[in-house]
Amino acid sequence: MPTNLASGAEYDTVGQRRWVWSGFALPGVIWLVLLFLVPFYAIFAVAMGQIDPLLQRPVPEWNPLYWDPTVFGEVLADLFGGQLGVIALRTIVFVFTASALCLLIGYPVAYFVSRKAGRWRWLWLLLILAPFWINYLMRMMAWVNLLSPDGQVNRWLETLFGITDPPSWLAGNPIVVVFGLVYGYIPFFILPLFAALDRIDDATLEAARDLGASSFQTFWRVTWPLSRNGVLGGLVIIMLPMFGDYYTPNLLSGAPSTRMLGNTIDQFINQTTSQGAVGAALTIVLMIFVAGLMFYYLRAINRASEEARR
Amino acid sequence: MTYHPRENRSPTPRRRVYTRRDFVQRAALLGIVLPAFPSLLAACLQREDGDAADLAIGTPASPVQQPLFDDNPAIESDLPPEEGPLLLYNWEDYINPEIIPLASEALGVEIRETTFTNEEQALAALSSGEAQYDVWFPTSQRVAVAVAAQFIQPLNHDYLPNLGANIWPQLADPYYDQGSRYTVPYVTYTTGIGWRMDLAESADIEGQANPWDVFWNPKYAGQIGMLDSFTDVIALALFRNGVTDPSVATEAELEAAGDALVELSDSVRYNIDVAYDGLPNARYSIAHAWSGDLVNSAYYWPDGVDQGTIRYLWPAKAEGSTVHGPISSDTMAVLKGSERPVLAHMFLDYMLNADNSLTNFGYLGYQPPQNNLTPDFLIGEEYLAEELAPALVVPEDFDLDTAWVQGPLDAETEALWAEQWTRATSGG
Repeated sequence: MPTNLASGAEYDTVGQRRWVWSGFALPGVIWLVLLFLVPFYAIFAVAMGQIDPLLQRPVPEWNPLYWDPTVFGEVLADLFGGQLGVIALRTIVFVFTASALCLLIGYPVAYFVSRKAGRWRWLWLLLILAPFWINYLMRMMAWVNLLSPDGQVNRWLETLFGITDPPSWLAGNPIVVVFGLVYGYIPFFILPLFAALDRIDDATLEAARDLGASSFQTFWRVTWPLSRNGVLGGLVIIMLPMFGDYYTPNLLSGAPSTRMLGNTIDQFINQTTSQGAVGAALTIVLMIFVAGLMFYYLRAINRASEEARR
Repeated sequence: MTYHPRENRSPTPRRRVYTRRDFVQRAALLGIVLPAFPSLLAACLQREDGDAADLAIGTPASPVQQPLFDDNPAIESDLPPEEGPLLLYNWEDYINPEIIPLASEALGVEIRETTFTNEEQALAALSSGEAQYDVWFPTSQRVAVAVAAQFIQPLNHDYLPNLGANIWPQLADPYYDQGSRYTVPYVTYTTGIGWRMDLAESADIEGQANPWDVFWNPKYAGQIGMLDSFTDVIALALFRNGVTDPSVATEAELEAAGDALVELSDSVRYNIDVAYDGLPNARYSIAHAWSGDLVNSAYYWPDGVDQGTIRYLWPAKAEGSTVHGPISSDTMAVLKGSERPVLAHMFLDYMLNADNSLTNFGYLGYQPPQNNLTPDFLIGEEYLAEELAPALVVPEDFDLDTAWVQGPLDAETEALWAEQWTRATSGG
């Protein structure tokens, strides 16, 4: 039966090829399972687990049939109307403010480097990348020294402007914490945005000008829409770690009025003996919230690429 | 199949049709997950609710002897030391790095140190059995738990001649472990108030009946630092409100302590370095402090600033003070699973030697309870400034009625403390 043989052979090659190509996903799958799914499940197991009667430490409950959602419920109740809600709201305000500032400062920088810097581009890129050579923690500690009451910033304020009574920067100042977040994360925003701006074909801009658009119109109707995915990508990259950040407010303030959700999670997991479940539950809620942002981003990207295909 | 009473949601699997492709995919996934199953299964089987522990928790007023267990004997006397390396499991930055090569030379073996950043992490590592070390440095408040969980083994005092010879009687036979059955003391410290005389002299901290109240003095709002350690902070607020034994504080007293801390929302900052770094660099004028941090602060002063302005007070001992205050000590112990128990004993004795503990103190700033390391001696040898004499503990401090030692909190009590801490740190 020659026909059967032929179609069988064809099926085999296709099937084989499919398996080979999907085989490339294997390292990724193993990575995801071992380093994401299993730990994520462990967080659930701690959040819904019990407490060791002797050590008074949380014991993860691996069997979902025995999960105890009491702590989770309490955390949710406290998030909507309790003290944790205050902290969560503050975290959201801090992160969105810092992200907006990153956009305001970072967009012109990325735009300049990609389109206007000419042959000095490499130098600008190098300067933007330079902070990466120093550890984030070190950079924050440097700011602690600069901003301390007898630090360099106050000395300059005095010599340059005669300000002898400067604000106490580190005494629980929300502006300083937001500034720290902006300073720490802005390179992560600029780089993907630079890449997106750099990809825009000059011909599209020239076409816009040829068709009579002013330079502002060209920016607003061509450059901005084409770079929007880069903006979204940059925002996602900086917002996700900002939501979990706790060392920036810790180092630059430490005051109750600037505590973020990351501090509270750290507090429950690292300071208490028995209250790890609260920290785990908070971690899960935060992850779900952040995943929501991520989905918005993916949907926007998806829609944009569909539009581009059309 | 019967469900556990705790279960109040039965899983409702969604029905769907499985294709052969789905099956193959799932089988492949199972192949990845399956190797993890035995350990998961083992973990599930361990669930039986154990008996609430019968811990022997001592206080200076009612000391306790830790129980011995037949299956956890001390080592015999006169055994030869084992081969190295000796493995230490210590707090981060909690031993003079110069001591390790010195001890290594003296004992003739290599010594390696692994560190932990908080005791919860250490307990987790020890209870999972993954930690295979010889010497561990538990706080005195964890000794009872470590004994009951059989993390540590009884000591054979024949290997520890320095214990009886050099150590304060109060800690050679301590309230938490009478007869030093399982532990030897490492360092001791109080928790009190550190301040800069040039920045906070008018607070007159030394002249107050309730020195803890200085943290609520509105004049120093914004210059106040407290330890980012919730048990210490809640205890401080309880003491300030006149509670004498925070361990048995009522819910109302805890609530009042939380209220007092909420009042400070705009004036206090919580950090772990408030005293040793914050005072020298003038980030704070008044700081909640462990006594050892004040001794250490000498290394953190900027050039050209007068170090003589630093002060420390332990409110439990201050003249005219009527409030209580915490005192504590950390210990050294030999882990039950140690494969080099003789070497471990020898290391403990090495650290109890007078000269060696002085070398360690020179770096650590936390004070070994050695008979000959008196305040006069340490100040005379310029290990610390004279103004900081109150930061040194003397043996009699443990006998004061106003001295309080922190015991472990059970989960229910800790939840109440943590609730107040969340209130205090949320900043309203």
